[in-house]
Amino acid sequence: MMDQPDAGDDRYLRQTLLPGIGPDGQARLAKSCVLIAGAGGLGSASAFYLAGAGIGHIKIADHDTVEISNLNRQILHADTALGQPKGVSAAARLTAFNTGIQVTGLCERITHDTITAMLEGVDIIVDGCDSYETRQVLNRASLALRLPYVYAGVNGFDAMVSCFVPGQTPCFECLFSGNAPPSDQPVGVIGAAPGLAGSLQAMETVKLLLDIGRPLKNRLLRISGLDMRCHCMDLTPNPACPACARA
Amino acid sequence: MIIQLNGIKETVPDSLTISGLIEWAKEGDPDLMVEKNRQYIYPAEYDTCPVNENDVIEFINPNLGG
Ligand SMILES: [Zn+2]
Repeated sequence: MMDQPDAGDDRYLRQTLLPGIGPDGQARLAKSCVLIAGAGGLGSASAFYLAGAGIGHIKIADHDTVEISNLNRQILHADTALGQPKGVSAAARLTAFNTGIQVTGLCERITHDTITAMLEGVDIIVDGCDSYETRQVLNRASLALRLPYVYAGVNGFDAMVSCFVPGQTPCFECLFSGNAPPSDQPVGVIGAAPGLAGSLQAMETVKLLLDIGRPLKNRLLRISGLDMRCHCMDLTPNPACPACARA
Repeated sequence: MIIQLNGIKETVPDSLTISGLIEWAKEGDPDLMVEKNRQYIYPAEYDTCPVNENDVIEFINPNLGG
């Protein structure tokens, strides 16, 4: 790890003032490790706020390269990064943003074969994916390794967020069936939608790491951006879940 | 009977289940998620879960973009 500023460093002053964080909480954040699975729209927002919060080690994984059509929402990447692997671009940007934390960019595809190594030393999985299949990989790893999985997804002006915690909540596959065939057609999205959802994921991740507040466990937050409706729906485990019903 | 479906008051046939309501609304998304009175309803319950007067029901298309 790079030189980590003292927990009392002014960099984190405004959050160490908060009850529930304080110097001790800040020190816990500095010792934490998070995998951000995807350096797209969601991952861009969550990564900045988790880096800003002083998470000691952020791993950020993405096998794609930066394309011009990414830049309406993927604020980790600049025009100068076009053509670069997103893992490299993201790690460089985050390291420049906060030199006091360790950032590891991973450029491998997230699969059932690669995820276990990616999760070595990781405390929480933060979803930055754009497909059901990759989320299924994260979900199975979350269940196998008993790691919390902070899900978000976006579409258009809309977003969803939930915290799936093995043994305490339903899992991703309890809710999402993946029945629709995968599509290679791009999905329209306004940049602020993943920005909003990714920011919420960063907040939920800090809450889970510090065991403070009331994280989005057993609830799915839905935001309809066009008519600006936000509400939570209550979740119960799915007895027919293919992933966790017998877990 | 009158229910609130996706934020809009709708008059729907009496004695519907969630399955019947999906059919009535001509919802075709195979990944459709259903919320009834703020509670997530699982597909295995669609055939037996009744729709009652004044229920608040949302048909939700999952958000899987990133
Ligand atoms: Zn499950």
